[in-house]
Amino acid sequence: MVHSKKFLSISKLMLSAVLLACSALAQAAAPADPFGSVMWQAMVDRYFTGGDVVFDQRVKVIAPYSAENQMHVPITVDATGLENVKQIVAVADLNPIQHVLTVRPKQALSFIGFRLKLQQSSPIHVGVQTEDGTWHMGGALIDAAGGGCTAPAAAHGTSNWMQTLGETRALVRRDSKGDARMTVRMRHPMDTGLAAGIPVFYMNKMVVKDEAGGVIAELDLFEPVSENPTITLKPAVGSSASQLAVSTRDTEGNEFSFPLSVPAVTTQ
Amino acid sequence: MIKMKVWLAAAVGAACLSSTAIADVSIEDIVADQASGDDIVSYGLGPRGQRYSPLTTLNKGNVKNLFPVWSFSFGGEKQRGQESQPLIKDGVMYVTGSYSRMWAVDIRTGEEIWQYDARLPEGILPCCDVVNRGAAILGDKVFFGTLDAKIVALNAKTGKVVWRKTIGDYQAGYSYTAAPLIVPTEAHGPLIVTGNSGGEFGIVGEVQARNPETGELVWSRPTIEGHMGTLNGADSTMTGKKNESWPGDLWQNGGGAPWLGGTYDPDTKLVFFGTGNPAPWNSHLRPGDNKWTSARIAIDPEDGKIAWGFQTTPHDGWDYDGVNEFISFDMEKDGETIKAGASADRNGFFYVLDRTNGEFVSAAPFVQNITWAEGIDENGRPLYVDDNRPGNPVESADGKKGKSIFAIPSFLGGKNWMPMAYSQDTKLFYIPSNEWGMDIWNEPVTYKKGAAFLGAGFTIKPIFDDYIGSLKALDPVSGEVKWEYRNKAPLWGGVLTTAGGLVFTGTPEGYLKAFDAETGEELWKFQTGTGIVSSPITWEQDGEQWVAITTGWGGAVPLWGGEVAKFVSYLNQGGSVWTFKIPESLASK
Repeated sequence: MVHSKKFLSISKLMLSAVLLACSALAQAAAPADPFGSVMWQAMVDRYFTGGDVVFDQRVKVIAPYSAENQMHVPITVDATGLENVKQIVAVADLNPIQHVLTVRPKQALSFIGFRLKLQQSSPIHVGVQTEDGTWHMGGALIDAAGGGCTAPAAAHGTSNWMQTLGETRALVRRDSKGDARMTVRMRHPMDTGLAAGIPVFYMNKMVVKDEAGGVIAELDLFEPVSENPTITLKPAVGSSASQLAVSTRDTEGNEFSFPLSVPAVTTQ
Repeated sequence: MIKMKVWLAAAVGAACLSSTAIADVSIEDIVADQASGDDIVSYGLGPRGQRYSPLTTLNKGNVKNLFPVWSFSFGGEKQRGQESQPLIKDGVMYVTGSYSRMWAVDIRTGEEIWQYDARLPEGILPCCDVVNRGAAILGDKVFFGTLDAKIVALNAKTGKVVWRKTIGDYQAGYSYTAAPLIVPTEAHGPLIVTGNSGGEFGIVGEVQARNPETGELVWSRPTIEGHMGTLNGADSTMTGKKNESWPGDLWQNGGGAPWLGGTYDPDTKLVFFGTGNPAPWNSHLRPGDNKWTSARIAIDPEDGKIAWGFQTTPHDGWDYDGVNEFISFDMEKDGETIKAGASADRNGFFYVLDRTNGEFVSAAPFVQNITWAEGIDENGRPLYVDDNRPGNPVESADGKKGKSIFAIPSFLGGKNWMPMAYSQDTKLFYIPSNEWGMDIWNEPVTYKKGAAFLGAGFTIKPIFDDYIGSLKALDPVSGEVKWEYRNKAPLWGGVLTTAGGLVFTGTPEGYLKAFDAETGEELWKFQTGTGIVSSPITWEQDGEQWVAITTGWGGAVPLWGGEVAKFVSYLNQGGSVWTFKIPESLASK
């Protein structure tokens, strides 16, 4: 009897959770998409819920017109013109897996650079959600030859790729006083599970903290992030020297972490 | 109440997604698993590993009406040996497969809930096929080991990795294929206990216990004399005494892998592991008993110390890799109840020990024509036939190959990994055994990391023209065989027995079979389409008794089989799990 009661309460809870999710689906139609994506309404329903959706010039998405290499398409998102940013979500509308990443900048500027795999020519949509729930949208159209997500990672051409997993190169520079610009590149195949015979295996979490353990930024990464993820952030760490702690985790539970020194601003 | 459940499930399904409510598994559920017919939350249907179900709905009278409900394919091209025993909890089956894969399946529909594929590195070194024998479950997590010697905890609802820890270095030959064991302790709460594999590569056998929440190592216990154990991150005690039964430095790569996993007895609160062969196979390089190889060891789970040890084949020279499961049972003999434990050893003898202290009670041969020993003496030590030990290569003319001998049983054993069952009703053990021998000779060898460390050559031969496999019902009190079922191909799957008076086992020819537990009469069989080398289970689901078995030919026989190939070379691979029950229309008949 006790057992059954437990079941009932769990089920009730699930039911209410489901109803909540469904009510979120039933929101108003999104504004017209300047990129004319056939997937636009679906992207809004899946990823940009919980507030109004508006296209906003302050969300700058810098991307190549044409992907020279569809396995590594560089994207820079600059939303530093917006205040009170909660999260940044990037999607590639016509990829078999659309969600590329989510960033929650806590003590960082609303800025991220990354590389993604593109399966075919596609619009990229980036939503920047502010504390009031509003999604400020930007985007880009990228022309591509195709095949980025379903091809095996280059790492699989070598037999020792697992020994170099998580090896990192990192660089910190000063952009202006108060901010730093950090770029990390970590060895990881970022397997999408769509290449024949290769199971899904990707780096899915990254957290950057300051010396006191305060969170600077949290990132959720997904399959479309390029092999050997290359991520650029702008931590707001003040002008003196400090040390950041970067930690990442992949879908197999492998954890990698390393310190990153930020130099002091030199007066010019 | 049941109606309410269905309504709620339907409402959730209609709303936009479907899900199954899963109650957490407690350590009490695991310890009491044998008594509860409605779930299977341990390997062996209870921590003692008796593989005895109290269910009686399915019995000798109606087993003929058993029909398949669904079959679930493991998919992909990774169709190799499937030795896995599924777990059952709240309408969900957790089943593992070859190449370190795992699935959660909705039992009512046979549909997949999630699949997890371990990302294996290149260059794993499993000796004997890429099998996995099953998972463990506790709280909201399921656990299993992978071929690269890692243990993984997955969220039972989603299949996502919670933690993943290293058991051993796969590049040195460590691997993992057994089902983990979860045991209660007073000092640490529940612990997840694992052995390791790699006895053919000169690894060192070790039992490890971890915190199931975090994967942190709590204690470790090497099986080989001279190696230090750990407790809470510090050295604890040495196993045995260095060089007492090993010469020189050979203990450093001494083998003794506890690769089959362990059992637990709630009465004595001890964990029992079988340990594998010493390394290298060439016994002339390592005079002495070589403790604790080819042995049963009892470990106190509170601190990882060895409570007792018993060697079945001291100074093994035949790869009588005695990992065989030690099953606790209470034995009535001469008006007394002995807290006993039994195992059917690779070396062809069935041993009964006092499980409280490891003292020898009795031993009896369970295969025919054993050549390497005349018998077992009153202390449990083999009466060796010296001429039947492979000769020392140093004594040969060129020093490269010692005298070859023909020994029975073969190194694949009177019984190999496949677990036997014990019926609390008939008081018999049901042993999946094989009748075969081998030519074996020794060669010089030196240790090299990641390379086979054998120093022996061999070829396996059947000893009868018409069969190798032999399922035997053995009385542990008298040592007598009550009945035998003979099978052409070698048996390589586990056994299940039930209070309904049934014994189930699968054959490489593809049949799942049911026998009368008293007489051995074959009552039912079903052709699954590929060889069976796994252990059947039974449980109650929505008021009906179900039976399930994973199928897929493979394991060590096709890899090492020698002359045995004639008996098995035509068998085809597969990879699926089958479920059975009596259809409603036949249930009342």
